[in-house]
Amino acid sequence: MRTFKNTARAVMVAAALVGGSAAMAKEITIAVVPKVAVPFFDDVNNGAAAEAKTLGVNYQWVVPANTQGATQVKIIEDLMARHVDGIAISVNEPKSVEGIIKQAMKVGIKVLTFDSDSANSGRSMYIGTINKQAGVTMGNSMAKALGGKGEVAIVTGQLGASNLNERIDGVKEALKAYPGIKIVATEGTEDDLAKAVSVTEALLRGHPQLAGIFGISQVGGPAVAKVLAEQEFAADKGKLKVFAFDDLPDTIKGVKDGFIDGIMVQRPITMGKLAVENLVAQIKGTETAPKDIDTGVTVVNADNLGSYTK
Amino acid sequence: MAISGEEVARSEMRRIGILRNLLQLRHIREVNVLVALLIMGAIISAFTPYFLTVDNLMGVSRAFSLTAIMSIGMVMVIITGGIDLSVGSAMGLAGLVTALCFDAGYSQSICVAAGICVGLMFGLANGLLITVIGLPPFIATLGTLSIGRGFMYMITHGVPVTPKTPDSFSMLGQGYIGPVPVPVVILLVLTVVFSLIMVRTRFGRHIYATGGNEHAARLSGVKTNRVKLAVYVLSSTISSLAGVIAFSRYLSAEPASGFGSELDVIAAAAIGGASLAGGIGSVTGAVIGAALVGEISNGIVLLNINTYAQQAITGGVILIAVSLDVLRNRLKGGNV
Repeated sequence: MRTFKNTARAVMVAAALVGGSAAMAKEITIAVVPKVAVPFFDDVNNGAAAEAKTLGVNYQWVVPANTQGATQVKIIEDLMARHVDGIAISVNEPKSVEGIIKQAMKVGIKVLTFDSDSANSGRSMYIGTINKQAGVTMGNSMAKALGGKGEVAIVTGQLGASNLNERIDGVKEALKAYPGIKIVATEGTEDDLAKAVSVTEALLRGHPQLAGIFGISQVGGPAVAKVLAEQEFAADKGKLKVFAFDDLPDTIKGVKDGFIDGIMVQRPITMGKLAVENLVAQIKGTETAPKDIDTGVTVVNADNLGSYTK
Repeated sequence: MAISGEEVARSEMRRIGILRNLLQLRHIREVNVLVALLIMGAIISAFTPYFLTVDNLMGVSRAFSLTAIMSIGMVMVIITGGIDLSVGSAMGLAGLVTALCFDAGYSQSICVAAGICVGLMFGLANGLLITVIGLPPFIATLGTLSIGRGFMYMITHGVPVTPKTPDSFSMLGQGYIGPVPVPVVILLVLTVVFSLIMVRTRFGRHIYATGGNEHAARLSGVKTNRVKLAVYVLSSTISSLAGVIAFSRYLSAEPASGFGSELDVIAAAAIGGASLAGGIGSVTGAVIGAALVGEISNGIVLLNINTYAQQAITGGVILIAVSLDVLRNRLKGGNV
């Protein structure tokens, strides 16, 4: 009897051990870290959480309290201490997280960046909008709307912002193929709506022939829509082709009202989904040579306003 | 007692002749900045036909009107020897609170009143920190600037607030009286009212006296702390009015609205002849100063000057204009 009992106990313990270790091998925990709490990242969270559920992995959404580089460093340290298997992060300060990402990779945690990169951190890959490519899409959309000829102007945000300058590079590259289109002005607005409105007004007065405006930063769309709604510029509505970035409420309204022809909308939900998918593949070892992914932009216009996906 | 104290104050001022000198200096300064404004206008219109049109001049006036309105409050603070760094935050937060009230469905008058109350609170906070606790104005208003800015990000999470508003409200920022935009009309009215207050009333004289020599003013019966509290409340309240007008103009309360505008406003007052050391300055000078900056930034776009050079050119033109002003004053002072 006793022997039997002991044997049974041993078998049960062994079974529990085997079962436990099997479960532990399967249990994957990943964390996704945004820059800060804004609606853009809510979309990322939705996309990531849904994908994590599909793949059956544990998922954590860790929001930094502020945009300081040190805060994200601390978050990664905490995640390393909790032995997560993978981290996807949108970086606030590319330089400050380089060291800690290298450390995490060294102890076997898979790290990738999304939306905002830290190129020298040794992260496995970057998933997000490649701004130059988005600019090319924007330039081509404008060229098509103008039939390949006319004077255009660029309204950007902060003159030093690298993501905006990459978009402008893309626009210029696309327009090279259309010698009939001439960029007559590039104006900064410091991302201030009031400044953007007065700059746009002056642009339209100073260039009566203007046929198109690129709103490179997120204030461009709302600003041009406000200006075209004014009595003075009523004649330009529909005639002036306008392309903008980011689907803020006022920009969407500009499309509805017929002031804006197209918006370049980034794809945060796709970013979240791909971040989780690629992290899990790397942890399982099915993805060994990850490459950067451009999630691209959706061109939103009056036709797909109600139906576009991010 | 009050009357005799007032008389002592007056005789004191007359004795040191602050007021008379001030008034002379003020007039000369205003004329100089006005001349700079006209010369700059002539230069710009020599190169582009699009500057000297009614549409453009009205558009430019509307664009600089908010800075100019805020500079009216700022110049009063500066004349007392203080500084108000929180004007941009008061402006932005006032616009945001007005937007939130519309969003919550309150009536137009309540929404506007709520926005103006934001200004009152900023002003009281600044004024009390400076007069009761004795903080330097730079620190007190830097603190409230930061708090206001923080509130804006906490409330908006970085996304503009764009509620539905009645058409009658958008008149405030977008409407016209004849060919003149409503914000410009408001600016003109405020300029006249506050110029008269500064030159014709006891309160105005007390503001100059407080900044000219606070100790002497206090000894002569001027309640300098009360004067200071009043100018900070006025400055913030005027800024909040600018914020409500800005919201009415754009119908969108931006999270970064008013960000950095304190520098434009201080610059307008200084270009208009106000001395940051206090005691010197005028409302009309500040308004013309704001007009000069607005004119330059408009001209730069009309003339198609390279965008990367714009800030440097704006700075250079301002330095030249103010240097000429100072040099001319020195020459005139030598002659008198």
